[in-house]
Amino acid sequence: MSLIQDSWHLFNRTNRKLLRKPFLIFFSLFQPIIFLLLFTQLFSRFASIPGFPADNYLLFAVPGIILQNSFTSAFQSGTAFVDDLKSGFLAKMLVTQANRYAILLGRISADSARVTVQSIIIICIGLAMGAHPATGIPGLLLMLVISALFGLGWGGMSIFIGLRTRSSESVFAIAGFLTLPLLFMSTALTPASFMPDWMQTVTKFNPISYGVDAIRVLMLSGFDWQTILEAFGVIGALIAVTMGAVVHQFRKVVG
Amino acid sequence: MVVKDLVKKYSEGPPAVQGISFDVRAGEFFGFLGPNGAGKSTTIKILTTLMPKSSGSVSVGGFDVDKEAHRIRKLIGVQSQETALDLDLTGQENLMLQGHLQRMGGQVLEKRVNELLGLVGLEDAAGKRVAFYSGGMKKRLDLATSLIHSPKILFLDEPTTGLDPQSRSAIWSYLKRLNKEDGITIFLTTQYLEEADKLCDRLSIVDHGQIVAQGTPEEMKREIAADAVSLTIADGLDLASDNALSEARQILRRIVGVTDVIYSGNGLTVYGKNGAFLVPEIVRALDNAQLKIATISVSTPTLDDVFLKHTGRSIRSEGHKEISVEQKKKRPFFFGRKQEVR
Ligand SMILES: Nc1ncnc2c1ncn2[C@@H]1O[C@H](COP(=O)(O)OP(=O)(O)OP(=O)(O)O)[C@@H](O)[C@H]1O
Ligand SMILES: [Mg+2]
Repeated sequence: MSLIQDSWHLFNRTNRKLLRKPFLIFFSLFQPIIFLLLFTQLFSRFASIPGFPADNYLLFAVPGIILQNSFTSAFQSGTAFVDDLKSGFLAKMLVTQANRYAILLGRISADSARVTVQSIIIICIGLAMGAHPATGIPGLLLMLVISALFGLGWGGMSIFIGLRTRSSESVFAIAGFLTLPLLFMSTALTPASFMPDWMQTVTKFNPISYGVDAIRVLMLSGFDWQTILEAFGVIGALIAVTMGAVVHQFRKVVG
Repeated sequence: MVVKDLVKKYSEGPPAVQGISFDVRAGEFFGFLGPNGAGKSTTIKILTTLMPKSSGSVSVGGFDVDKEAHRIRKLIGVQSQETALDLDLTGQENLMLQGHLQRMGGQVLEKRVNELLGLVGLEDAAGKRVAFYSGGMKKRLDLATSLIHSPKILFLDEPTTGLDPQSRSAIWSYLKRLNKEDGITIFLTTQYLEEADKLCDRLSIVDHGQIVAQGTPEEMKREIAADAVSLTIADGLDLASDNALSEARQILRRIVGVTDVIYSGNGLTVYGKNGAFLVPEIVRALDNAQLKIATISVSTPTLDDVFLKHTGRSIRSEGHKEISVEQKKKRPFFFGRKQEVR
């Protein structure tokens, strides 16, 4: 009970900070939106290639862009954690009576909320450009859940790196290093069938692909539960692994 | 609070704390006085459950720091040396958040927040983001956040470093009141001699991770049992050269009533009964030896002299009764400038 209460206060703290610096909401949105605008032009002919799964590239791309944002946005969790670690604010929280895990829970829940808001913005841009999902409002809601959970999983990864290296530069460097290869070697921007064999294999091990595929069936066709549950399984495993690592590292840091 | 044989080794460097022992009684105002790198912050971090110790035993409020850390956290308020505030939040929001984390809420918390804002003189700035506060305002707000839940034991790591004299004395009188009227036990670290002298019932003087002297300020000063006559020699004589130095010391030691002569890098301190009577003797003796005095001053012993006696290094305190021969350069009354914290 106290865990929930303490987390709630820290959740509010993070959100309040975010509202004071609204550019942080758009920080990670910037690249995905540019991609959305550029790639729908660049790859517009894709749709006419036989085997392309959508009527136009926009419908195909929006799910990929949503996940791209969850992925890059997650890295802010790690840098924010490093800030608290370095400023002494983490220590200040640790000497209070608050449940120490509330520090983690408050942070990651606020970060998931941020990812959700960002996903809503992307979906709205998509709608404005004509990307109407086949599954309507319930489908949209499910898309938000998937993107938020994915953000949670990767957020754990970035917090782990932050706690481990204690430097936001490292978090940024690793983020910069991972983003493009993982993105292009997933089904976010290109159908797997258009890729060389080895890359198709890579996409199968890339968690981004599973999130994208689930959002994409919601966008293009309907509630294909097998794909959706597969996504939940993979993302759930991702969350379990990264959060396990985070809790382990957090214990080490807070003693 | 009982600390026994506390040792802290960091992964690199010599041990920061090398087997210190002391105890603090309930309701006491206890000080830890020492220069940069003495191990003050390290000790506070261990006492406040933030850092594991390497060996020794520590209990706070009767609870073991390793096994009952959560109980200790209920009792203590901590102001760390690095002012830890959320810069994006306002002063009021910082206090509210801290209160929430200390399990407070509702009207009780709101009342307490307003009370503390008044106390540290930040009512007008309460709605401003802390990023726009001056260093002194931050320090005061930080103190307020550590008091939000009316802790029984208060840990303060250099709470007045960087404050202007008015804010400093305001904080001093407030801390005194907290201690005397509300009975709060206070553990304070400082580099300011005057602060330790004025506030503390008892204190430890620490240097290089070891306690070099311990007791009440009066006891420690009485231990010196002498007045201190501090003097510097006019330019042209390099006291750092061994010959000149030992010559000057021998001359001074021969004076009747002198108990000790200590060289402290920027001058000599002569200890003896009744300093005012010693001055003419000293002047005469040095004059005969062709040593020209630049400044000379008499004081009753200060904690500075205690530190000097135990470490051979000086932290000259202001407030000496000066018999000035030349205008003496004003020295700050602390151990030297704070280093940038990373
Ligand atoms: N995290 C750390 N890792 C390694 N060495 C450290 C660490 N923190 C402090 N030290 C070393 O331990 C010693 C004591 O440091 P500490 O911060 O306790 O001193 P202090 O008395 O608080 O000094 P100051 O007045 O400058 O705050 C110093 O020599 C310092 O370099
Ligand atoms: Mg310190």
